[in-house]
Amino acid sequence: MMLAFDSSLFIQRMVDGLGEGSIYAMLALSIVVVFRATGQLNFAQGEIGLFGAFIVSTLTLSDVPIALAILIAMVVGAVLAATIERVVIRPIEHRNPGAVVVASIGLFLGINQLHSMIWGPNARSLPSVFPNDADDFFRLFGAPVRWERFGIFLVLLVLLALLWVLFNKTKIGLAMRAVANNQESAGLAGIRVGGILMIGWGLAAAISVLAASLLAPQGGLSASLMFGPFLIASAAATLGGLDSPIGAVVGGLALGLIKAIIIGYVGFLGGDMVFTVSLMIILVVLLWRPGGLFGTVTVERV
Amino acid sequence: MAMQPRIITRGSVLHRVGQLVLFGAFALFFVRAGLEGDRTGLGLLTDAIILATAVTGLNLITGYTGQISIGHSAFFGIGAYTTAILVDRGWAHGWTFPIAAIVAFVIGCIVGLPALRLKGVYLALVTLGLAVAFPAILNYEKLADLTGGPLGIKNLTYLPPDWTPFDGRADLHLWLFWLSLGIFLLVSLIASNLLRSRVGRAMIAIRDNETAAAVMGVDRAAVKTVVFGLSAAMAGVAGSLFAIKLTLVEPAIAFFTIIGAITILVAMVVGGSASTWGPLVGALFYTYVNDWARTQGEERSIDGLAGVIFGVILILLARFAPFGVVGLLRKFRARFVRVVPKPPVALAGDLPSASAPAEANPSHASTT
Repeated sequence: MMLAFDSSLFIQRMVDGLGEGSIYAMLALSIVVVFRATGQLNFAQGEIGLFGAFIVSTLTLSDVPIALAILIAMVVGAVLAATIERVVIRPIEHRNPGAVVVASIGLFLGINQLHSMIWGPNARSLPSVFPNDADDFFRLFGAPVRWERFGIFLVLLVLLALLWVLFNKTKIGLAMRAVANNQESAGLAGIRVGGILMIGWGLAAAISVLAASLLAPQGGLSASLMFGPFLIASAAATLGGLDSPIGAVVGGLALGLIKAIIIGYVGFLGGDMVFTVSLMIILVVLLWRPGGLFGTVTVERV
Repeated sequence: MAMQPRIITRGSVLHRVGQLVLFGAFALFFVRAGLEGDRTGLGLLTDAIILATAVTGLNLITGYTGQISIGHSAFFGIGAYTTAILVDRGWAHGWTFPIAAIVAFVIGCIVGLPALRLKGVYLALVTLGLAVAFPAILNYEKLADLTGGPLGIKNLTYLPPDWTPFDGRADLHLWLFWLSLGIFLLVSLIASNLLRSRVGRAMIAIRDNETAAAVMGVDRAAVKTVVFGLSAAMAGVAGSLFAIKLTLVEPAIAFFTIIGAITILVAMVVGGSASTWGPLVGALFYTYVNDWARTQGEERSIDGLAGVIFGVILILLARFAPFGVVGLLRKFRARFVRVVPKPPVALAGDLPSASAPAEANPSHASTT
């Protein structure tokens, strides 16, 4: 029986959890951005990100630096998603919400299989943006922390800062918040709602591409890479509240840490049960707060 | 408008004849298929009927009551595993069906409890959690004595009983087809009777306006819980059929994972949610189009082509038939015939067109 508490191992596990949680947080953010615009869960969100990651892999094979490749792929993904919003989603949206679900499942399936069609069924490897040689770590309270993991968390922090500026300091951000709040009023106030929806989808796609490109070096780039993380991220977004970006980040990081704790310290549950346990925790939170931790609870007027 | 659509009152002789013709056409289709007895073709049709049974269940809770579930693969799997576990312990196959229905009903009622507090996408995600958790629970080593762990349970073949006209193993596919069809009809009958009852009206009231329904005295908690249970029971029986058709159950089967839940949901919306014929039409459409896409991919041996084709078809369908195939057919029918509800008795002498608004929203409109 191990009674002594290994604090160095604990810190390492927490940093790993934070790194993984940051990926969930980014994906959850993109889910929330789309949800605020459309009021729907976009099942294809992870696949759009994966599409970008495949583009990154193609670019790096022709010697484009990885960071530049990710930026290019983010732009491509954004344009693709904005087009999807305009061509596929918007014509359906006002007719039947159920049909939007089917369309996004169709997108999920179509894009997912498109990967195998274009890039073949075999997994590829993607280089990491961060230094990941054996000696690329720094010490935190004596525990070695790898840049590869901690770097992802730093990227998340930078992303959050940029998003904060976008939402709070720019005209587009103001318009996006207005559209999320009430599409009709925003339209009456002179905002081009359609354009803002496209920007929202594009922004979400760019974030997903970033998340997928940061995940691929560890998970291996294949058509099935994003399905699990997408489910966890949507659970994270629900935990935080589907209309709250802060909630998405908190939810994503929390699920990453919970996973690290369960795998590290509750060994008898085994790897398969991790997600099940996380879901139980989320269910309890939702029963206590039906709108998620940070979500708005809508009050209906009768 | 070149031609005025002909107006038919619901319940009139003409309306009944129309219903009978439609029903007869379907019956003819199935009987012909059952008598021809082509093994591969009948197997695919049986798959479609089993899917239709599960979709009928989902249609009750999602289509009519408005509570989105992406977790019906779990109920489907619970039914399948109940049958498998009981058959493995020496039960007669037929008797496992009601037990599977009861087990799924009870678990469905319990899962329905969060629906009392959660709405829309939040409920969808909790049920999605159930779909994800189910295969993990099947794999959980502490339950392996019951579920067989990753290996599952095998040898579930259900040979035709002696009282049937079928001849043992040679007619197995015929027996499974007629058995599935019979159970599907029974489930459909229960669903349509439920919908015509007080509970059915309460379900639709909850979907359309929950607050108003509560004000009118609908017991939301009871209706949601029981309908969730019934819906799960139907998916469970479909799972039982699935298990004996496949003759084995194991956690790796796609239909027990989230893929199954999505399949059931897509088949429901593709057919036309909240409609009588929707589940059958949707399940047939899903099964055959999916099979066709798969053949296309195999013939051209291009990786992923099947999925891309099917994905594009789903997107096009969502775009051009947002209320499913049944909704599309209804729109087409509306050019020739308009079915209006029977006018109230006191107004029987009035023009039937007085009740026209009933056709305004296609998702609630009448069936033929």
